[in-house]
Amino acid sequence: MKIGRVHSWKKVVAQLILLIMPTALFFFYLLWNLNRYYSILQNEWTKQGCYYFVGLVFTTVFYSYRFRFITTALVLFLAYYFLYHYVGNASIGEFDGFYLSIQFIVFTFLFSLGWVSGFGFSRSRYFTIIWSVLLLTTQIIVVSKTTEIKTDLLIAAIAPVIAYSFYIIYTSELIRTMNEAEPRFTWFLAKRIVGFLLVVLVILLGLFTIFKSEFKTIEKEWGNAQAKYDKGDGKSENMNQKDHDGNMSNKDQTKLSGSLSKDKQLVFVAKLDNYFDDGKTPNPLYFTSCYFTKFDTLTQTFERDSLMPFNDLYEPDPSRIPLYFAKQDSTVIKNTFATKNRKVVTADIYKVLLAPSKYLAPSTAFYCQPMSVPKEFKEQYKSTYRAKMWVSDLNSAYFIYNPAGNKQLEQFQSLRFSKLREVKKITGPDKRFMDYYTFMPNNDDYKKITQLAKQITNNAPTPIDKMIAIRDYFLSKDEFKQPLFKYSDNPGIPGMPSANKLTYFLFENRKGYCAYFAGATLFMLRSLGIPSRVAAGYLTVDRSSKNPGWYWFYANQAHAWTQVYFQGYGWIDFDTTVPDMNTHQATQPDGTPPTNMPQTYLVADGEVVEVDEQKKQIKMTVEKLLYHDKDYQTRASAGMTIDVSIATITADTGAVKLSAIKKGVHLTAVSFAEALKNILANKKDSLASIIAKLPFPVPIDEVKIMSAEQLKKLKKKNNEALSPPIDWIQLGWLLLIIIGSFVLLLFLSPWMIWQYFNQRAKSSGNAKAYHVYRASLYYLNQLGYAWDGKGPQEYAMEIDAKFGSSFAKFNSLYQKIKYSSNPLSEEELKQVNEFYQPFIKQIKTQTKLKTRFSKFLNIYTTLHYFNQSKTS
Amino acid sequence: MEEQNVQLEEILTNIQKLVTNVETVIRGKRTQIQYVLTALLAKGHILMEDNPGTGKTVMAKTLAKSISGLHHDEAIFKRIQFTPDLLPMDLIGSHIFDDVKKEFIFKKGPLFCNLLLADEINRASPKVQSALLECMAEHQITMGETTYPLEQLFFTIATQNPVEMEGTYPLPAAQLDRFFIKINFGYVDEETELNIYKDYLGIQNNLEHIKQVLSMKEILYLQEQTEKVFIHDELITAVRNIVWDTRKHPDVVLGASTRSGIIFLKCLKAFALVNGRTYVTEDDVKQLTFAVLDHRLVFRNKEAKQKALSAILSKELERLSRLKITTNANTYGQSPL
Repeated sequence: MKIGRVHSWKKVVAQLILLIMPTALFFFYLLWNLNRYYSILQNEWTKQGCYYFVGLVFTTVFYSYRFRFITTALVLFLAYYFLYHYVGNASIGEFDGFYLSIQFIVFTFLFSLGWVSGFGFSRSRYFTIIWSVLLLTTQIIVVSKTTEIKTDLLIAAIAPVIAYSFYIIYTSELIRTMNEAEPRFTWFLAKRIVGFLLVVLVILLGLFTIFKSEFKTIEKEWGNAQAKYDKGDGKSENMNQKDHDGNMSNKDQTKLSGSLSKDKQLVFVAKLDNYFDDGKTPNPLYFTSCYFTKFDTLTQTFERDSLMPFNDLYEPDPSRIPLYFAKQDSTVIKNTFATKNRKVVTADIYKVLLAPSKYLAPSTAFYCQPMSVPKEFKEQYKSTYRAKMWVSDLNSAYFIYNPAGNKQLEQFQSLRFSKLREVKKITGPDKRFMDYYTFMPNNDDYKKITQLAKQITNNAPTPIDKMIAIRDYFLSKDEFKQPLFKYSDNPGIPGMPSANKLTYFLFENRKGYCAYFAGATLFMLRSLGIPSRVAAGYLTVDRSSKNPGWYWFYANQAHAWTQVYFQGYGWIDFDTTVPDMNTHQATQPDGTPPTNMPQTYLVADGEVVEVDEQKKQIKMTVEKLLYHDKDYQTRASAGMTIDVSIATITADTGAVKLSAIKKGVHLTAVSFAEALKNILANKKDSLASIIAKLPFPVPIDEVKIMSAEQLKKLKKKNNEALSPPIDWIQLGWLLLIIIGSFVLLLFLSPWMIWQYFNQRAKSSGNAKAYHVYRASLYYLNQLGYAWDGKGPQEYAMEIDAKFGSSFAKFNSLYQKIKYSSNPLSEEELKQVNEFYQPFIKQIKTQTKLKTRFSKFLNIYTTLHYFNQSKTS
Repeated sequence: MEEQNVQLEEILTNIQKLVTNVETVIRGKRTQIQYVLTALLAKGHILMEDNPGTGKTVMAKTLAKSISGLHHDEAIFKRIQFTPDLLPMDLIGSHIFDDVKKEFIFKKGPLFCNLLLADEINRASPKVQSALLECMAEHQITMGETTYPLEQLFFTIATQNPVEMEGTYPLPAAQLDRFFIKINFGYVDEETELNIYKDYLGIQNNLEHIKQVLSMKEILYLQEQTEKVFIHDELITAVRNIVWDTRKHPDVVLGASTRSGIIFLKCLKAFALVNGRTYVTEDDVKQLTFAVLDHRLVFRNKEAKQKALSAILSKELERLSRLKITTNANTYGQSPL
């Protein structure tokens, strides 16, 4: 049986190039965007895009033959069904059924979507409209999920959809009406393709400018991936990542792999203000970079999850916060649910190799204040910031582990254990929380882990005892008095490459680095119903007796450990990694710490009004003020006089003299003066009222002059920070204007086309008859008397019957001009030339203005006029 | 040439007169009359299909009576009612033994006439049908060794009846192809029908006293002139496009042949003359496409039959209506009238 075609091959090719390719490209973009918001998609937008693309292309070609939709779709579903069964049967051993079925659902959905849209593009005229509406809705839903709605984000999300929609509706209409029998068809197509490429270029450029920064991060990731390949086997795992400038930070994911590479470079130095109850013994805390709450069973990778419930990770970019102006996030405090035994702890972080944009602090940090590095340490440290965090008294880097014979620490530990034993059963703030943080993959391997965990913790009544039991298990010795578990940077991989590395670690190899211990602990805890997560960051080692509270962090201290949630206390660090026996901690030298950063009481930002060099006083206007860590801002600036007699004045170029400060210069003044310590602000205070409270003149310790560039940046940031409510309205107007003008243009276009035809018909020339004929046809068509495949004479007579005009007469003469070899006589020519205006007038007078007006608004009649009908 | 033109003008008016003349008897059938004349001028034949009693026979009769003959006072009109037992001999004629001359002489059958009405052609056996159709194509009859030419003007109006299909032999596509034009005669509209009832006596009277408007000579002259009617290149292209589209269209199983295209062109020219023009226009294409092509095509199904050709036609008409005025570059040796 030969199956007939609905569209010719030429048309299918045109559809593929002009409709399908752009759609697929756009879908890739859409998926990429979705992947940023929904981690269930596993960040595999290329693969998913391909599913859709294949479905779309296949169906477009397939339905260009005369196949019925319902029967073919049934066949497709049957295929899905059998495939699903096959997948179900095949998922043994190395395959993870859960993972596969999720992937399968994603595949089914995307392929079906491609299938349906391919059918729509191929067969239905109005599908493009439905499709556009669908995409727009999707995009709006996605945008509404984001907490922080900014103009550029909104434009980036909506503008491509709108542009794509316009394009796709236009093109599908174009393809629908085009005449593939036209001899210059390829030229026709070529023109459109060039046009389309230009449009794509413009869109891409636009996208690039909007997403410049994001592209840069992608670039960084790529650069990093490159470096990884360079290592040769690609199996080695590094917990730090380096960017082009040699800056370091923790990686966003950590993989269980055969070996771990470590470096011995100083990453940062920190002063942590956390001491035990005696007020002397420093209590180190692990520095957290991020939390891995998700485990990809297929790639055996711990990953971050932006959808983590009760997100308590604070991730500001210190390099983008103006100097001394603190930024904080109260949702962190809210989301930790820690109420008992907690206090605020300050940490000063001095970056060496750590990336300027990176923010590191012990968990539940909520505050970030960039500071300037003291002059004499500028060479050593790139930048510094102050962090504040809520810390439970019970939390410590020593928690559970390694008091190492120190009595005080052991005492402390047992005290904490007894406190935590009061927690008999861990219940999270709600079910979602518990479900999320106790989630286990459903698989035989994990059942084995569960069994082991139950066996180990058989005698432990409370969660904390269970944790200690797990620790003890990792520390236990085998029958030859050898440690059961060993630390190894190169644990090797199981014989079967895709085998579960965690079970291999737990039951066979028993060698691994921190990620293995953390991962195994995580699943053991979760199997016992204890909510836990893996934290990544830096291990804190207290090596210095000279400088209590100062800690040095080297690249090989990058670490992963487990955090356990105790209601009332929040997340508590729990490290089960056994000590590395082979490479005994080579004592690394601790440097001299930078001078202790004093507490900043006041930071004022503003412009100089007057400089008194003799009194060493500066009169300035204050636009922004940070007083006792509280931010004040005003648009109407207030005046303040500052005393700079003891202040160090710095500009970008280094220390400068007071004489460098001129009227109009923008500066930031910082005060550490004890005099301000006790002048507290209350809730009602505004910027002006605080300044009024201050002593006159205000003692200032540090003045920083801002360069024009910095000022510009700051202004921009201020505007950004202040503008969102205005932006919404502006954006609304802008959208309204764009859509309005588009609609207006749409409704006016029939009339404008008419004006064009009319002018051409009125002007006399050699082809006057043609223009008159065309204009008349258009006018009549617009008024509802469509020509529609009648014979010209037949049509003209119909019109004459309606309006009593002489269109038929004109038409026969026009036909004569067009097809006869004999020229018209003088008389006939005169008739032709004098036909047009009276004819139009005649029709006008016989049609009500109301009717004409409404008919001219109808774009569909116009489209109908320009449509080329097809043979099938 | 000038004189010829004058003569032509006169004849063209006479054709209009002929149409009006026939119309006095066959009311409300102007287009059908035009189609019949088109087939006549294009030296072709016409097949009319419709229910009995719609005026097919009267039409043929009136036409015959309106033309004055060469040797007789009017054109020879013969009518054959086709039946299943009819034999080719009944059409062609037969050899009869002459007792006086002691030899076989040829007794001419009804085919030797100017205007033949082959009534209910689908009731005859295929043998008879093919005999008739061969004569129509060849314009001569061969009996044994002798070839007898038919009359110089030989025009067949065949009819067939779409109802009561039992015991009929529907004409195969290849034979339908011999007819230049096939039309459905159709019923007249309500108003005309009322007029006919009111005036049927007058109509009968008209039929008896029909005027002879055109001479056979004039018809032959017109047939000759038909070939010279001017046809614009774009319209030739249009015919080509339509023929091509019928071959490409997915709903058409058998498309139009090149011969059909040539017949189409001939008919276009004739139709222009019948409409009093010496050049072909878009309207002619529109009016003739169905009449000329519909019976030559084999469609996939009934639905397709209704849609396919009109879709092809309207696409082509659209193309034509958008054409700018162009002068004809190549006339292919056409000598304009």
